[in-house]
Amino acid sequence: MTADAARLPAPAAAPAAPGALRMLARRSGTVLMPLGFAVSVLLLWEFLVRFYAVPTVILPAPSVVWARILSAWPFLLTHLVPTTVETVVGFLLSMILGTTLATFLVYGRRFREAVYPTVVFFQLIPKIALAPLFIVWLGIGSESRLAFSVFISFFPVVIATMAGLRAVPPDMLRLCRSLTATEAQVFAAVRFPYALPYIFSGMKIAVTFAMIGVIVGEFITAQAGLGYLILFASSQAETPLILASIATLCVIGLVLYGAVALAEKAMLRWYGSA
Amino acid sequence: MEPPPQIVVDGVRKVYETPSGPVEAVARASFTIRRREFVSILGPSGCGKSTLLMMIAGLDPASEGSITVDGAPVTGPRPEFGLVFQDATLLPWKSALENVLFPIRMMRREVAPARERAMRLLDFVGLGGFEGKKPHQLSGGMRQRVAICRALVHDPELLLMDEPFSALDAITRDEMNVALMDIWDAYHKTGVFITHSIREAVFLSDRVLVMAKRPSTVVADVTIPFPRPRDMSIQEDPEFNRICGELRARIEEGYARAGEARGPRRSLKAFA
Ligand SMILES: Nc1ncnc2c1ncn2[C@@H]1O[C@H](COP(=O)(O)OP(=O)(O)O)[C@@H](O)[C@H]1O
Ligand SMILES: [Mg+2]
Repeated sequence: MTADAARLPAPAAAPAAPGALRMLARRSGTVLMPLGFAVSVLLLWEFLVRFYAVPTVILPAPSVVWARILSAWPFLLTHLVPTTVETVVGFLLSMILGTTLATFLVYGRRFREAVYPTVVFFQLIPKIALAPLFIVWLGIGSESRLAFSVFISFFPVVIATMAGLRAVPPDMLRLCRSLTATEAQVFAAVRFPYALPYIFSGMKIAVTFAMIGVIVGEFITAQAGLGYLILFASSQAETPLILASIATLCVIGLVLYGAVALAEKAMLRWYGSA
Repeated sequence: MEPPPQIVVDGVRKVYETPSGPVEAVARASFTIRRREFVSILGPSGCGKSTLLMMIAGLDPASEGSITVDGAPVTGPRPEFGLVFQDATLLPWKSALENVLFPIRMMRREVAPARERAMRLLDFVGLGGFEGKKPHQLSGGMRQRVAICRALVHDPELLLMDEPFSALDAITRDEMNVALMDIWDAYHKTGVFITHSIREAVFLSDRVLVMAKRPSTVVADVTIPFPRPRDMSIQEDPEFNRICGELRARIEEGYARAGEARGPRRSLKAFA
């Protein structure tokens, strides 16, 4: 029977089919499989919650969370805005601070010797524990959350930028020296562009850390924001709202990360893979 | 009457201070190079060739002795030297043309007038039409051609090349040798060329200096008598092979003198 089928003349639409099928097959590893797995987990969750009649306050089914997202949408939206804005601002500040600090650390030997150990020390301690101090010093406004967000997210930028600024091939630096280029010229034309791929990998870490910083800040003190909403909902034992807020956070996190990843892609296209 | 030599290397020694004690990279080197002469430095890796070249370029001070170029002692980097390295070391995000123009920008010279020269150089090495391509779109040989154009764009007096073709495959390497020969005939520079290929050295050079390791010194100075312009056919000449044999023997002597427990066949292979 298969042999017969093979001998049959191809239907008119056939030329497109193998192409589409091949694409599906190619995509299956990167898109279909993970998607299938995630859907299976959600279905299993839904099934288990219903089957064992788990109380909603302990664990609501995905369908209940989804319904809560829809019903609380305007509410989620107003709380999503400050969290997103503070994350973005914290991220941008930590990029500026991180790249600047890294530049000074790479160029100033004395500065590096004096400052670098302290910078590393603050990374080795559990930074979250310091969050209340930021509130004590900077108050309950967004300043303290921003500062904490920067504090938590700038280190990966420093490390990545330092590595990047030092990644220039020694022969390239010899050439610059031979041409009597100034250090400012070398930085602008050689070192900084060479560092860009490194900086972007630091950025991808920083953007997720920046959000963690803001949420922790909101847990401690805030009148708005998704972290505040999570805390508020838990005080009301409103588990579906907690999960709805977390789901919203995940989406924001993905969008912000995706934006950085897209920018990275554009940068790498400009950079030209070696 | 002989004009005075352009480069005079006189009793140069270089010792690096390292955490594990001093390393003598060059024990003693003395030689001269005339204007428009092409001189190869041949020797095993680690014998101090790169160190010597960097000292001539003014990028690394000598511990002892002196180096003069055009009568003036070399005390620091001078932009009238063109440098070519083993890797093309192009800026990955810049086009071939922009890479060639890089020295002009770094020397803070006006770019517009140099653009035409850069295009002519690229054309000359067979890269006409590739000026807009980025390094990753070019083959290894093409990238090294761009690097050679970059070394020539500011019209330097002197071209210093540190194993520029060592990373290329044999066929590309032959092509590059011919390309460099053509450039040489057209641009008339003084050239110092480091290699560990005997045939490459003999093919390209007016003179070949042989360096030995431990102590790192110049052990032979061999004049290559073939007239220019040369082409690949001289490589079949019996005289060419005789000179290669002689150089090989000098290198062997260098090993013997250093007392290295190293069979002649192994070291021959290293210089195939
Ligand atoms: N900056 C440096 N510091 C310490 N030792 C060095 C340095 N540069 C080169 N050397 C040593 O000097 C010797 C000669 O090196 P090099 O000039 O690179 O040799 P070649 O180019 O002939 O292979 C080697 O033993 C190398 O390890
Ligand atoms: Mg070397």
